[in-house]
Amino acid sequence: MRILVIEDDGKVASFIQTGLEQEGYAVDVLNHGNTAGEQARAVDYDAVVLDLMLPGRSGFQVLRDIRSRKPSLPVIMLTAKNSLDERVAGLDAGADDYMAKPFALAELSARLRALLRRGTPRESVLKVADLEMDTIRRTVRRAGSSIDLKPKEYSLLEFLMRNSDRPLTRSLIIEHVWDIHFDSISNVVEVHINSLRNKVDRGFPVQLIHTVRGVGYMLTDSAP
Amino acid sequence: MTLTLRARLAVIATIVSGLLLGGLSVVSYNVLARWLDEDVTTRLTELTDGLHGYLRLDGDTPTVEYNANDSDQTSFVHEATRYYQVYDSATGRLLVQSPDIAPLGLSLTRGEIVLLLATSLPSDITTPYGRLRIVNSPIAGPGGRTYLLQVGVSLRTLDESLSRYRDLLLVLTPLSLVLAGAGAWWLSGFALAPLSRLAHAARDIDIATLERRLPTRGVKDELEEVTRAFNETLGRLEQSIGEMRQFSTALAHELRTPLAALRGEIELALRATRDVDLQQSLASQIEDIDRLTRLIEHVLTLARAESGQIPLTFSAIDLGEMAGSIVEQLEPVANARSITLRCETAPAVVAKGDAGWLERLVLNLLDNAMKFTREGGCVVVRVSRHGERASLEVADTGIGMTPEVAAHVFERFYQADPSRSSASGGGAGLGLSLVKWIVDRHHGTVSVHSTPDQGSTFRVTLPAFPGAPRS
Repeated sequence: MRILVIEDDGKVASFIQTGLEQEGYAVDVLNHGNTAGEQARAVDYDAVVLDLMLPGRSGFQVLRDIRSRKPSLPVIMLTAKNSLDERVAGLDAGADDYMAKPFALAELSARLRALLRRGTPRESVLKVADLEMDTIRRTVRRAGSSIDLKPKEYSLLEFLMRNSDRPLTRSLIIEHVWDIHFDSISNVVEVHINSLRNKVDRGFPVQLIHTVRGVGYMLTDSAP
Repeated sequence: MTLTLRARLAVIATIVSGLLLGGLSVVSYNVLARWLDEDVTTRLTELTDGLHGYLRLDGDTPTVEYNANDSDQTSFVHEATRYYQVYDSATGRLLVQSPDIAPLGLSLTRGEIVLLLATSLPSDITTPYGRLRIVNSPIAGPGGRTYLLQVGVSLRTLDESLSRYRDLLLVLTPLSLVLAGAGAWWLSGFALAPLSRLAHAARDIDIATLERRLPTRGVKDELEEVTRAFNETLGRLEQSIGEMRQFSTALAHELRTPLAALRGEIELALRATRDVDLQQSLASQIEDIDRLTRLIEHVLTLARAESGQIPLTFSAIDLGEMAGSIVEQLEPVANARSITLRCETAPAVVAKGDAGWLERLVLNLLDNAMKFTREGGCVVVRVSRHGERASLEVADTGIGMTPEVAAHVFERFYQADPSRSSASGGGAGLGLSLVKWIVDRHHGTVSVHSTPDQGSTFRVTLPAFPGAPRS
């Protein structure tokens, strides 16, 4: 998987590059958008991470440039502005996703993964170790015994299972599981994780739900 | 007492008109009286002088001789002799008296006759038949004898004319004053109407519509000058708000980019290390950066909100439904802290509002309530409708506030006790000021009633959605 990162701030570009390379991606960095179009055409990238505020040409122009050559290439926009208007403008301009700075690396890679996986059919039965979820019948079992979950707990678990072995940030979880933008106002994620732990992990020798320091949570059967 | 400018102008104009009208009436009445009086005196002098020419003193009896065929002479003599009498000054005897003067009882003593002979001025006497003006003049008779001739004219016509004129003024002056007052009211209204229109147009301009200008009419008058001055102020305001907006955008970028780099590098370091102590320290740094990010986010949201950069989309919002959904989602959070969270809503309370921002309002109020409520406490959301207002209350049984604290609670960065809210995270004293901003943008009201150690109740009212059914 090859990713093109277009970001003018050297430090930001560098940690994105290092972080993504650690996860096994090949990463090219451009610190301006002038040649982004040609670069995207010349190299067969799987995704682009594009900063909205670039010297010379704005991210929107670069995005149009890329889209005119590679209409289906997934693009995640980064911006130091964060307002609903710009988010809508970014998505309208053809970006596939949008992230405000500062962001967690884990979140960037989770979103990239989601984009790269797009198009592949979603499994209806999810399995992590002895935990099983049937998304059609909406049932959850661990080691064969059924677990009764509230709707939000179910959604949270489904999100964790679909992204198992990956750390997920609170904001990513809130965005996917809750329809209200709780932000950081309440510890709603923590509370639901705790109740999930009580129902899913309590009494089992292997704990599946882990807290990842500085990032968020991760569902995995191999201790980090 | 405060009156509107229009009323003040009208009152002043009426008072001035009243003074003018009153003064004019008094002056015209007096001038007319004087003119009429002078006319009477002149006529009396003419009559007396004329009568001297017709009087013959033969022996003791004065007679009036005139040509009865001459109509001029006849009417003159008739007029002159209507009120007249002649005394012998030596004896004080009444020699002749016209029939009209007789019933007036004007008999003179000798002393009075002598006194009257010395004065030639006319004198007025009041009789049951009206006032009479009498002029005295001496007649030199034969043998050096002197007679006193008294000729009088009635002042009744004059008095009646003056009295009628006074009555006329007494009716006309107040009537004119009423008309003048009405005219002044209308005129001041007419003159001030453009000013009211200007005020109306100016009131429609708010921070989101600063590019609008008041209409100018292209004429050179005082109102046009006010309009232009106001438009110039708007221009300067627009410019400085524009600079403020640019500043907040630039600030956002300048703060977020280094934070992003910092957070990313710490995250990479966190991934790389197996040292638990270092992991803890790095994780705590990331938490601090996240807190800083949230703070910046809040400040910028408020700055953008207050400089009118956040457009609101109004629609019909079922407040009860919204509150219910938020309460449902927050219930586990409350339960985890052993707080009872309840929602009591009347059906179909529909407010006119922006869904996202009203959600934020309820969240912020609930967040605040739960933050200050101890374990075992209770937080209740009540939604009801009062006439044209939809009302939402968030009541807690928390630690409450003193009135001094409650008075400042909607101010930015205000925290009664910094130690207690910063610990629970996210609290930078901005949540309630955002509540205030949201309420203001919805043309609503927000108030708080609080008793220390018993709890606080925040009450928000919003305009009900027009056409929504009344409960």
